[in-house]
Amino acid sequence: MNRTLTCILCPNGCELEIVYEGTQIQSVSGNKCPKGAGYAEQEIKNPMRNIASSVNLEGGTMPLVSVRLTGPIPKAKIMDVMAEIRKASVKAPVQIGDVVIADVLGLGCDVVATRNVGIK
Amino acid sequence: MAHLYDVLVIGAGVVGCSAARELSKYQLKIAVVEKGPDVCMETSSRNSAVLHAGYNNKPGTRMAKYCVEGNSTFDQIAAELDIPYKRTGKLVVGYTEDDRAKLESLKAQGEKNGIVGIEIVDRAFIDEKAPHVGGNFAMWSPTTAILSPFQFTYGMAENAADNGVEFYFDSEVTAIERDEEGIYTVKTASGEIRTRWVVNCAGLGSDKVSAMLGIDEYTLYPCRGEYYILDKRIGDMLPLPAYPVPNIKTGGLGIHLTPTLDGNIMVGPSTEYIDENDNYAATKGIMDMLIDDGSRIFPYLKKEYFIRNFAGIRPKLNPPSIGGFHDFVIERRDEIAPHAVNLVGIESPGLTSAVPISKEIVRLISEVEELKENPDFNPIRKRMVTFRDKSHEEQAKLIEENPDYGEVICRCETITKAEVLAAIRGPLGAKTMTGVKYRCRAMMGRCQGGYCQTRIAEILMEEKGIKPEELIYERRGSYIFTGEVR
Amino acid sequence: MNTIKKQVVIIGGGPGGLAAAVKLKKAGVDDILILEREHELGGILRQCIHDGFGLTRFGETLSGPEYAQRFIDEVEELGIAYKTDTTVIGLTGDKKVTAVSRDGLFEYQADAVILTMGCRERTRGALSIPGERPAGVFTAGVAQTYINLKNKMVGRKVIILGSGDIGMIMARRMTLEGAKVEAVFEIQPYPSGLPRNIEQCLNDYGIPLYLSHTVTKIKGHHRLEAVEVSQVDEKLNPIPGTEKEYECDTLILSVGLIPENELSLMAGVELDPRTKGAIVDEFCQTTVPGIFAAGNVLHVHDLVDFVSLESEKLADAVAKFVKEGLPQAEIGVETAGLVGYTVPQKITGDADVTLSFRPRKPVRDRYVDVYQGETLVTSKKYVKLLPAEMEKIKIPAAKLVPGVNVKVVTRDE
Repeated sequence: MNRTLTCILCPNGCELEIVYEGTQIQSVSGNKCPKGAGYAEQEIKNPMRNIASSVNLEGGTMPLVSVRLTGPIPKAKIMDVMAEIRKASVKAPVQIGDVVIADVLGLGCDVVATRNVGIK
Repeated sequence: MAHLYDVLVIGAGVVGCSAARELSKYQLKIAVVEKGPDVCMETSSRNSAVLHAGYNNKPGTRMAKYCVEGNSTFDQIAAELDIPYKRTGKLVVGYTEDDRAKLESLKAQGEKNGIVGIEIVDRAFIDEKAPHVGGNFAMWSPTTAILSPFQFTYGMAENAADNGVEFYFDSEVTAIERDEEGIYTVKTASGEIRTRWVVNCAGLGSDKVSAMLGIDEYTLYPCRGEYYILDKRIGDMLPLPAYPVPNIKTGGLGIHLTPTLDGNIMVGPSTEYIDENDNYAATKGIMDMLIDDGSRIFPYLKKEYFIRNFAGIRPKLNPPSIGGFHDFVIERRDEIAPHAVNLVGIESPGLTSAVPISKEIVRLISEVEELKENPDFNPIRKRMVTFRDKSHEEQAKLIEENPDYGEVICRCETITKAEVLAAIRGPLGAKTMTGVKYRCRAMMGRCQGGYCQTRIAEILMEEKGIKPEELIYERRGSYIFTGEVR
Repeated sequence: MNTIKKQVVIIGGGPGGLAAAVKLKKAGVDDILILEREHELGGILRQCIHDGFGLTRFGETLSGPEYAQRFIDEVEELGIAYKTDTTVIGLTGDKKVTAVSRDGLFEYQADAVILTMGCRERTRGALSIPGERPAGVFTAGVAQTYINLKNKMVGRKVIILGSGDIGMIMARRMTLEGAKVEAVFEIQPYPSGLPRNIEQCLNDYGIPLYLSHTVTKIKGHHRLEAVEVSQVDEKLNPIPGTEKEYECDTLILSVGLIPENELSLMAGVELDPRTKGAIVDEFCQTTVPGIFAAGNVLHVHDLVDFVSLESEKLADAVAKFVKEGLPQAEIGVETAGLVGYTVPQKITGDADVTLSFRPRKPVRDRYVDVYQGETLVTSKKYVKLLPAEMEKIKIPAAKLVPGVNVKVVTRDE
């Protein structure tokens, strides 16, 4: 089978031409760097994404603190992880990198703060 | 609302607020009911912002009389209420001999109406006054002025409130009943009000209120006028209003260009009869027409200068088949509705005529009962300080006195937090985003609130204790947020 | 009022201003002051909580606040002076800066002024979209501020007009927060945002992107109730008969960014009508000597990394300017063909210089040639040129002669 994908690993956004059978990659072209081939393979087997959102912050100079995952998770799990993020709440102060949810849903990634917020 | 008022004014537009203020000069207990959440929300705020001289209306009409009087007495009212305005004069430009003949008759009509100083001028005169305006010749009207219709209406309303007038908002009138003792019970969306007199200043709804009083012979035909607002960058090119020769048939004054006091330019309005009296939509065909027509007298209308469009609606008494202007209806119909003053079809020049109209309301009441002067009436109202009009020395002093002046909220118009707070905390303070905008100009600049609206929303919610879902943009139902993210 | 002397005043503490300040300090200029109108440094990055920043500048992918914090930390470590909650209200051609804060009104006399005010969004008014004026119409950046900084949700059923990057990022952001994003409509026959954002913000969530479509009517007396969408012809005019109505409570506009040059104009800086930013030389110096500009106030960038890099280049030039002065740039850079603009617009020819440019429309397999008179100075092949992406071409000084303008053109083969 053939598929055209846009690699999302960097702003180059290479257009990848993939030839594959099932989850087996036969060839990848159009990538400017070797990461593209890995991305294509991942995308065919189990697409992974990182997400960013915010969690409730108590007593901070802002009502929210922004968060992201320390690594990508399976695309199919995004909404489940969002449900966890929605439930979470932290107390100010918060520093960049503070773990808000450790090993979220056992997916091997933490939800971490991406902003420093002081106490109100 | 249990008590009995002497006078209830229906409608908080410029005429209703002016009427309330004029009545507060007498010993009367007065209230104003308004269907919207604020004063100055319909025709009063959506117009060309011009103080007309009064040559467009037929001699002998109320329109002509009140317009001329409103213009000549404006200096005093502006001084009392601190209303910004500028007597720029106005040019009505013509190109053809036919235009010239029309301008001559317009001039004659103006002179009959008692206006002094209007003259037909040549191109050299136009070059001197407004070199970027087109036309081979023009009629020059020296008394025409530009003003802030917002500050005019707020000035009236705030001064009325200061003199004891009570305002009820979100209170659309649904029925009016009169008992055997002659007391009116006015049913509104927020409750009932009892009053001895009713004054109908309901503008676009004045035909319906008139019918509730039993005077059911009027039908209003909403007639929409669309405008463009242009960036201040080209504001200097138009120092005064420039109009084309009016087309008598349409009942508008033709697509004209008007500078605003703040340095923008407005292009419009169109004249389009519509079915709904609250549909302020802009339409593609008319937007294109505004550019085409406006370009004939001011050929610098580039798309990159457009910052916004808006529309206003005229409450017209003449149906589209007749067109033109029907004179203001200002009447007391004792046989149908005693103790009521009924105003219907107050369209242009209603803004200019507002004060004389309110004096006529007082006269009609005083024909029936003696009005005693209110010895405590205070005619003076002060407008909020405008930071950006001050020198650096004055600005430094303002900040020293009140640090809120040092916090610039609206970058485009240099509006400070002190001014936003004044808009919210002032008498009859703003409860909506538009209310803040109209009062202090924040969000009116070229970025249209892109920078400051989020801060203003926050300040407004905090000051008024409004929940996010309850914050409204302009009219009831115009909620901004569906809730909180977390 | 005392006038305070400063070697360099930087207006705007976003990514451009921060990068310039750090580099300037490292280049030995000590007397710097950053003026920032917000409560914190960081500029627009504070609300860009998605990741994808920093691959070029730092070799890793960061969220906006994290990217900004790297520079803020350096500003703190280097002891660079800054004032937040401070708005510049005046700038003159002789580099007098007037600013206000709760502490008062301040006047600075600078040797050099760096403009890094960023950009603002095009609005509904600028587009003249017909229809009513209900609540529920937001520019993408305003929606982003409300959602990411103010904790306010702006709507539940969303249409997006314009395929700018912020609009697509907000499509994903709002979907994650439970809103239903119905579609993105783009008037041009090609997307205006980056391909990776179409992939990860739209395709991932099944949000369709319709090209050559625009909103032709806005409906709703109070809150937005629906929009009418029409297909457009090749002249971008709506095609009658193609109207389709979409029920929605929210319309997000992502229809372009405009450099915020109010202060530049006050100082008499000449703007380029194509970029809407200042006309500059290779030192990022504007037409007013001693006033420099970089980042989105100069021309709208696709990636913040390039804003930082441009600002760092600017800082080197400003350091040289305050110490020894800069040479005059007398070679104009003209454009033709599909090259929409270049920055800088004039060069000295003394050293190799890299021009930034964007194509007017997307094309594949094109050459970009730089001529000086009849001489081909340099040529580069591009597999794809997209308006969404800022491209670069390097001009070797060795091949340039003084006093003759260069021209940047595209060629098919």
